[in-house]
Amino acid sequence: MPRIGVFVCHCGENIGRTVDCARVARELGELPGVAHAVDYKYMCSDPGQRLVKQAIAEKGLDGVVVAACSPRMHERTFRRACSASGLNPYLCEMANIREHCSWIHEDRQAATAKAIDLTRAIVEKVKRNRPLEPIRIPVEKRALVIGGGIAGIQAALDIAEGGGEVVLVEKEPSIGGHMSQLSETFPTLDCSQCILTPRMVEVYQHPRIKLLAFSEVEAVGGYIGNFEVKIRRKARCVDETKCNGCGECQSVCPNKKVPSEFDQELGRRTAIYVPFPQAVPNIPVLDRESCALFKGRAKGFKEDACGKCKQACGREAIDFEQQDSFVTEKVGAIVVATGFQLYSIGKDQPTPQLKGYGEYGYGEIPDVIDGLQFERLASASGPTGGVIKRPSDGKEPKTIVFLQCIGSRDAAKGIEYCSKICCMYVAKHTMLYRHKVHDGRAYVFYMDIRAAGKGYDEFTRRAIEKEGAIYLRGRVSKLERAGDVIKVYGADTLSGEPVTIDADMVVLATAVRPQPGIESLAQKLSISYDAHGFINEAHPKLRPVETSTAGVFVAGACQAPRDIPDSVAMASAAATKVLGLFSNKELEREPTVATVNESLCTGCFHCERVCPYGAVERRELKDGEGNLNKVAAHVNKGVCQGCGTCQATCPSKSVELQGFTDEQIWAAINAL
Amino acid sequence: MKELRQIAAKLLTDGAVKVVIGWEEGPRGARAAFVTRPEDAERLIFDARCVQNLATYLSPRRRHVVGLGKAAVVAKPCDAKAIAGLIRESQVKREDVVILGVRCGGVVREPTMPASLTAETVADRCGICETREPTLYDHLIGEPQPEPPRVTRREEQIAALMQKTPQERFAFWSQQLERCIRCHACREVCPMCFCEQCVADKTRPVWIESSSHPRANFAWQMTRVMHQAGRCVDCGECERACPVGIPLNLLTRYTAQSVEKRFGHKPSDDPSIAAPIGTFRSDDSQEFIR
Repeated sequence: MPRIGVFVCHCGENIGRTVDCARVARELGELPGVAHAVDYKYMCSDPGQRLVKQAIAEKGLDGVVVAACSPRMHERTFRRACSASGLNPYLCEMANIREHCSWIHEDRQAATAKAIDLTRAIVEKVKRNRPLEPIRIPVEKRALVIGGGIAGIQAALDIAEGGGEVVLVEKEPSIGGHMSQLSETFPTLDCSQCILTPRMVEVYQHPRIKLLAFSEVEAVGGYIGNFEVKIRRKARCVDETKCNGCGECQSVCPNKKVPSEFDQELGRRTAIYVPFPQAVPNIPVLDRESCALFKGRAKGFKEDACGKCKQACGREAIDFEQQDSFVTEKVGAIVVATGFQLYSIGKDQPTPQLKGYGEYGYGEIPDVIDGLQFERLASASGPTGGVIKRPSDGKEPKTIVFLQCIGSRDAAKGIEYCSKICCMYVAKHTMLYRHKVHDGRAYVFYMDIRAAGKGYDEFTRRAIEKEGAIYLRGRVSKLERAGDVIKVYGADTLSGEPVTIDADMVVLATAVRPQPGIESLAQKLSISYDAHGFINEAHPKLRPVETSTAGVFVAGACQAPRDIPDSVAMASAAATKVLGLFSNKELEREPTVATVNESLCTGCFHCERVCPYGAVERRELKDGEGNLNKVAAHVNKGVCQGCGTCQATCPSKSVELQGFTDEQIWAAINAL
Repeated sequence: MKELRQIAAKLLTDGAVKVVIGWEEGPRGARAAFVTRPEDAERLIFDARCVQNLATYLSPRRRHVVGLGKAAVVAKPCDAKAIAGLIRESQVKREDVVILGVRCGGVVREPTMPASLTAETVADRCGICETREPTLYDHLIGEPQPEPPRVTRREEQIAALMQKTPQERFAFWSQQLERCIRCHACREVCPMCFCEQCVADKTRPVWIESSSHPRANFAWQMTRVMHQAGRCVDCGECERACPVGIPLNLLTRYTAQSVEKRFGHKPSDDPSIAAPIGTFRSDDSQEFIR
């Protein structure tokens, strides 16, 4: 006969007000197998816990049921108390008679009857509980950081400074991300590159950071503490070990007319190029699409059409035959920091939900540019050397109209959220413009000004009150080319008047969207993302940098639109989580994971298909002579998160979740 | 028929397979045949009486058949769907079976009936079947076949049942399932029921009581049909095997209709098309979540 102890908590008045706790204890005490039943005012208090400990020792209990609050609240408390008295903690369970009973009912009689039922069900379950031991797994003290923008850089540096090793993967030829493209930063107007590039160099020189630029994550296997990541190193056509970054190859490259990605296509670059002078690593990449040699080879030319860069290279670093290669890195934690891209107003959109802006000419008007393009025009390192010129004819624009919320907060365009950074950078743009073109007029069409942040509201007020920006509350219905100018038809909803402005240039604050390919990366990592492709945090308030997969963390604008301070704070938070993980020699995991009864498993692998974490493996079962008997499912305990989807899916009921076996749940239900 | 026998004999002579699973003339019409010697290939037949779904003999649960060695199996289009199901769910490897696909113009309701197809004799499922030949095969045998007589009596019966109130439907099924003797013939004949241990045989806990009383019978059939949702190939064998004549096909067919309506999925003989169970698509219909 089992010897279960039942401990009924009043939770002060929280439970006691609606539930007759003494009666619950009395009735439960009469159940077969219940050796001890008491009620107490505050079971989670020290004296309350002492009641549990004493009863285990004195009455020789082999199971404990605490009828109190939600197990989310105090299960650990009571399991620890049991453990301290020598009882396996997994023989202790909670019956929730607070959230599930006293808080939601008023009738004392009925609530008491329900509390008795709920507790009795758990007593029946605990009678079938088995002792479980926590799962211990070793930790690889290396982290993978995906994305080398400011968030990735900050996370990498913080982890490395904390003693961990870091592999930083960046898909572009250089780290730096969008921050390296910005001219100045709000709200202090300090130069973006001046504060960023020293950090980039720090990354490059750090003994514990391994930088893999121009690389992408190909596949992710394993689990917290023990990930195995396959990384594709894209072919640069330049041997990184030989190149010294002298730049000779670039200066001889005959194709100097390739639109520069770094300059948002407002400037030009060569076919073999370093994206910008402060690039890290300072090693060129050969763009095969625009290289005469590769274009010739694609057409089937017998002889190579060019080869000037190779001849010019004094270190024989250029290798036209280089192919993509793969490296595998073992890491214990992963930080996703892939950043954002800007929404394009063009006709072609990646998904049917997103829609372009026909009323703005689908982006076909040359002097209608986006915010990042304006950053390049304003930047001293940009294509115009920091002189504001319009792209069409190089004329200095005397009137610029800035439009906020392009795509953002517009369900009809498929983007309901606020992009957060636009209000601030538009204010910044108006100032940068005024600082460079003193007689220029900056108009801003806005919906609301959202300037919540330290020094932010002061900054926008400064743009309006001191720097002469003209803010008009309303939307623009149409942009139209009219000779030399762009006619901007809008509404000023505060005066109720329609407004028409002849603009020399229009700057669109287009919405912040996650990077393309984020979904496939998220699927490789088994982390969840929202309808827009932003990575979901594990809890919106309490676990903001964790994801749905243990050991994978998130930082920066891939989680939601973020400005630089937010991205950096998030990156440091993620780094702290990683370092916390690394401070353990071994990880202890809850043993409530799925196990497969291999002798009953038919090997249909529905479980493999439904497992959100990739925890189900195929295991070959052989007889004594080594002949293959069958292939059965096997759950990797390190990866399993105990969600139970496999258990629900298994047609032959050959999967059991430890601590929640069919038998336990069945008994609990039957007791009701 | 000649072509079928020749191919079967050659496969056996060459040692490409150890057994050819097909149909032969039996004392009560067409029946399953397991041909292991080339000279016995003469026994094989194929006509409108070849009702049985032979894919069921490929299931690893049939140890006596598996023990014979690599098999070739004669497959009508609906049988090919079951073979695809077994491949899809890792029960059979594609390279471990030779599929002798036969062009099919429908079959009669029972293998004991004469091989002439009329609106009265044609099997209910063939009355709406659109597939005249399988796409999953190694050899495709026979002349192109005409469409079987079109009958919709089963669909009408389902529609009529769905017109009734839930109480009336419950009464109808109570009456039907009262007769169930829990012989599990529906399970044993089914090509897609291949679990080593059926949930109905589990004892810890007893999910489904094994005695035959209404509650247990309901639990059994509901479980069986739900396990077949999106997997059933509509071969009709469960109903044909039922010794007490419960119209089980109405249940499986209605489930298939629901799966098609909800998930746009029809049973297919392409093993690479995933069944809805265990498949998540972001555009899955979710109107049941309120």
